[in-house]
Amino acid sequence: MDPEMDSQLKIGFIGAGNMAFGIAKGILSGNVLPANVKVSAPSSRNLGRFQELGIAVTHSNVEVVCGSDVVFVAIKPHVVPLVLNEISQHVTDRHMIVSVAAGVTLATLEELLPENSVVIRLMPNLPCLVQEGALLFARGSHAKQEDSALLRSLLHRCGLVEEGPEAWIDIHTGLSGSGVAFVYLFAEALAEGAVKMGMPSALAHSIASQTVLGAGRLLRDSGKHPAQLRSEVCTPGGTTIYGLHALEQGGVRASTMSAVESATERARELGRKSAAGSRK
Amino acid sequence: MSVGFIGAGQLAHALVKGFTAAGVIATHRITASSPDTDLPTVSGLRKMGVNLTTSNKEAVKKSDVLFLAVKPHIIPFVLDEIGPDIEDRHLIVSCAAGVTISSIEKKLLQYRPAPKVMRCMTNTPVVVKEGATVYATGTHAEVEDGKLLEQLMASVGFCTEVEEDLIDAVTGLSGSGPAYAFTALDALADGGVKMGLPRRLAVRLGAQALLGAAKMLLESEQHPGQLKDNVCSPGGATIHALHVLESGGFRSLLINAVEASCIRTRELQYLADQERISPAAIKKTTLDKVLQQPGVTVSGVANGNGKSGLSLFNNRGSGLKKKN
Repeated sequence: MDPEMDSQLKIGFIGAGNMAFGIAKGILSGNVLPANVKVSAPSSRNLGRFQELGIAVTHSNVEVVCGSDVVFVAIKPHVVPLVLNEISQHVTDRHMIVSVAAGVTLATLEELLPENSVVIRLMPNLPCLVQEGALLFARGSHAKQEDSALLRSLLHRCGLVEEGPEAWIDIHTGLSGSGVAFVYLFAEALAEGAVKMGMPSALAHSIASQTVLGAGRLLRDSGKHPAQLRSEVCTPGGTTIYGLHALEQGGVRASTMSAVESATERARELGRKSAAGSRK
Repeated sequence: MSVGFIGAGQLAHALVKGFTAAGVIATHRITASSPDTDLPTVSGLRKMGVNLTTSNKEAVKKSDVLFLAVKPHIIPFVLDEIGPDIEDRHLIVSCAAGVTISSIEKKLLQYRPAPKVMRCMTNTPVVVKEGATVYATGTHAEVEDGKLLEQLMASVGFCTEVEEDLIDAVTGLSGSGPAYAFTALDALADGGVKMGLPRRLAVRLGAQALLGAAKMLLESEQHPGQLKDNVCSPGGATIHALHVLESGGFRSLLINAVEASCIRTRELQYLADQERISPAAIKKTTLDKVLQQPGVTVSGVANGNGKSGLSLFNNRGSGLKKKN
């Protein structure tokens, strides 16, 4: 991606929540200058941390749209129709609208915006906040390859960025949006196991989180299959294989698969509901 | 080289069938002994051209490598009987689950200063030359003896040497393994039949699927987890089925099975080491027939604890005694 182009690009955020903040941080660690970023929110509550980064803030959504090339719509799903109605007449064919709203389909977005608008639907996850997000995006009818490439280059510092068909977004929600919470549950349980065996809670939690982090990094960076890594940790008759047996007996694999399935199904259901709701 | 088998049951039959298919030894150089001539395996062996006898001593005399292919609790009787007939050339290979090398050596040291003993754990697919065999080397067996046994057993499948303390685990995994597979195949065939396949076809396809998968794994550098992934297309049939398996605790059941078999093997070994086995544990017919053999008697059955039992490893006082 052309670095000069990046630094000229004007980026806007409608909404100043965690997702907007995480994405903004990632964008700024690339070539985009803080002076070229603007964020709007109805209250000043969340705007402080953006200002600390040198980003301009406003209460006017229209101002953000008019002054930006790429607009991230990072608001709660039920507010989307309201906001899009508000800004619609200011959206031109130079704009790229990137919606982060869960369950709001490309069809709904395109319906609410002018014809031929370049729309992209993005599903990030919480660790974008620490630049270790997993982000999946799907292109709308009028978004082209170059738009994908631009978005990728903007977001690559936020974490892992992948493109896919819209159908995968609900799965991504179940896997990696909710998945983060599944990992927290597991980390908590690890710590409790240690506490049961006699370790003080604070230390157990600290070690549990580092264990998850370390294992995660090894998994990502080694390129090996997790089953391979697991086998490598298991010495014959050792502690790990005993522990793994207990996990298998508890049916952890099946329930984890079910968790992703359940979260995905719910995402799909919410998507259907929201589509039905926004139909006039 | 001649090979002898004490015992002419499933194991002897499977090994002989494998050896002859592999062409590693001619059947007329094989002798098998059994007190019970009615066993179907006995006639099977006879048909293959194996020399059959009811005399263990004769099997010993006619062999260089002698497989002990009898049930574990029979081993001590056998050792007492054949002890005096063992020569320097003999390599004794025990296939009995749970019977330690040291217990065999202890017995035989009463007759020879340096009995060459090896212990092996194999499995029934030796009959189709796809056995899984491990062996451990006894105190007086040489490297060449190991190589000889390995050559024989490698002709009927995979064979490698291990430390003796791993043999129980091997029993749990590959000793019992074929039974797990047969059970799985029976059930898989049921699944096929339920979904409309004729039984014979279902069995054939199921067996071929497992055979093929096993072969792929053996020939691949990849982890089985990766090979599994390669079969599972997103949202497809296979991943749905795998979820069902996981929900049923498939993996943990298999781990439990291997563990149970291994633990039971150790229990049996422990019982054997106790050296007190109830006469009821020995099939009456077999015992009678063994006692009919020349040179074998039993005397005195009670011990100091008031528990009656045959002392199988201690020749002094009670237990089997040699006449003259």
